[in-house]
Amino acid sequence: MPSISLSGIEDRLSRELVAAWAIAKKDVLIYYLRPGVIVGGVLFPLFMFLAFTAGKLATPVALVPGLIGITTLFSASSIEPVSVPIERRMATFDRLLAAPVSLNALVLGESLSGLLYSLLIAVVVFVAALIILMTPITNIFLIVLGILFSSLCFATLGTLFAAYPTENPGDIISMVNVVRFPLIFISGVFIPIATLPAVAQMIAYVSPLTYANDLIQGGYNGKMTFHPIVDVAMLIVFIVIFQLIANYLYKRFSD
Amino acid sequence: MEAIEVSHLVKQFGTLTAINDISFSVAAGETFGFLGPNGAGKTTTIRMLTGISPPTSGTATIFGHDIVRETVAARQSMGIVSETSNVYTDLTGWQNMMLAAQLYRIGRSERDRNATELLKRFELYERRDTKAHGYSKGMRRRLTIAMGLVNSPRLLFLDEPTSGLDVESNLIIREMISDLIKEGVTVFLTTHNIEEANILCERVAIIDKGHIAAIDAPERLKKTIQSVQSVEVAFLDGTSPERLDELRLLPMVNGARKEGDKFKLFTENPTEVIEGVMAYAQTHHTRVISITTLGPSLEDVFVKLTGLQRGGGISAID
Ligand SMILES: Nc1ncnc2c1ncn2[C@@H]1O[C@H](COP(=O)(O)OP(=O)(O)O)[C@@H](O)[C@H]1O
Ligand SMILES: [Mg+2]
Repeated sequence: MPSISLSGIEDRLSRELVAAWAIAKKDVLIYYLRPGVIVGGVLFPLFMFLAFTAGKLATPVALVPGLIGITTLFSASSIEPVSVPIERRMATFDRLLAAPVSLNALVLGESLSGLLYSLLIAVVVFVAALIILMTPITNIFLIVLGILFSSLCFATLGTLFAAYPTENPGDIISMVNVVRFPLIFISGVFIPIATLPAVAQMIAYVSPLTYANDLIQGGYNGKMTFHPIVDVAMLIVFIVIFQLIANYLYKRFSD
Repeated sequence: MEAIEVSHLVKQFGTLTAINDISFSVAAGETFGFLGPNGAGKTTTIRMLTGISPPTSGTATIFGHDIVRETVAARQSMGIVSETSNVYTDLTGWQNMMLAAQLYRIGRSERDRNATELLKRFELYERRDTKAHGYSKGMRRRLTIAMGLVNSPRLLFLDEPTSGLDVESNLIIREMISDLIKEGVTVFLTTHNIEEANILCERVAIIDKGHIAAIDAPERLKKTIQSVQSVEVAFLDGTSPERLDELRLLPMVNGARKEGDKFKLFTENPTEVIEGVMAYAQTHHTRVISITTLGPSLEDVFVKLTGLQRGGGISAID
């Protein structure tokens, strides 16, 4: 057994991080430009925005914070549902499962690529809104926090769903969508939580998008439902829960 | 310390018992073959020994590390080459090597050195910057093996390394395995190719339907069935099916089959069979162009132990 020394832990941790980073990098190289990823992760939120704008439900400027929230949700959770089934089919997933690191490192590495993808897209949307719509900003720090934590949270959610043992990305994408679409409507993104029916309000509290959206809205227009610390803490709780469940599922389905 | 120590390993998939209570050990530096037909449980065994698939019961240790409880430590010293050439086809040969090395946290300079050396050794260096998508089947196989060696493992798992490959790739791979053996690397090799097991392995386990039927050195396995000898004969006018039937009826012939341009006749008494064959040739107005007596082959051992008929998924020549 390895002795429990500080250098031993450090050594182990660095192994895990190097492997996680290698796994993420491979996703960047292979999957970022896949049609399935672009359609589900980039085009969908864009169409959503155009639909709401065209329907004159709100001014484009008022829609920007919500758009960023939805974009992180869809882009962060668009990589793993595509990459993992393909890797199961090509048997490259066995390589990752057989690496001398824990499943936590594997799950983290997979999520990391979703996180980076989401950050990339969010920055593009943020900058575009700034230039084209000249969106006013109250507190940019809150926007950054919101994007960062929600991206990791939704990326881990994508990794969690991708644990389902199938070789067909469509199977997982449809499962993820069952969760992603309702979240848009119950998380206060376009419809304020206060105006929702009581049951929907209850559900809103267990939606990570609620807290992500709260941070981003706060950053743009200063209107917040919760304290920023509550938002961040809730997002961290979701990240940990998703990570643990994902870890369990990958172990369970590794036959 | 033993490189691999397996004790009462069982693997069930639902109601199917894929591996049924196997035990064996492999010494450090040994080349150990797992020989069996398709579906015997070879891949399942490797997946358990590499910690991908948890055993239903029983234990396995790798250089003293329990594969279930100390998975990470056990994997550190192993290289794995799986049955399918699982390379990333959207990455180049070089990128594939880098990814494999980083999963083992091999530092940059060592990574570059190992990758360069291995790609050269497997004759892939010139194509290192091409995506593996454009590689032939043999090249992908070689890349898979190179990736399995990138961490300089003390123990290498090879799941059917040469199955269905072109001659050139086959030769490169067999040569590489011989080199590794000389370097003292422990090799655990599965194959359904009897000749491969015979040439490369110091000890062979014959596995069938999740059971180990026998474990021993190839030569000793052959000795256990000295009673099965054979006579190989080629006639001037070829090998017709009718002739096979007629040869089967000769005295002292226990069985016969066609092998290429020859017939193989099994017997306990080769001398008498040779006489019988010569007489047969005379009465049938043909000539014998070659005739040889053979000791039992590993294949004969295999057939005897598993009751397997030819064509049942095992091959002597691939
Ligand atoms: N994941 C699995 N689920 C169910 N059955 C399996 C699984 N993997 C292998 N098997 C079964 O276990 C048996 C042994 O398979 P395998 O180890 O792949 O054989 P080999 O590698 O010797 O050809 C086969 O009957 C196969 O169908
Ligand atoms: Mg197999």
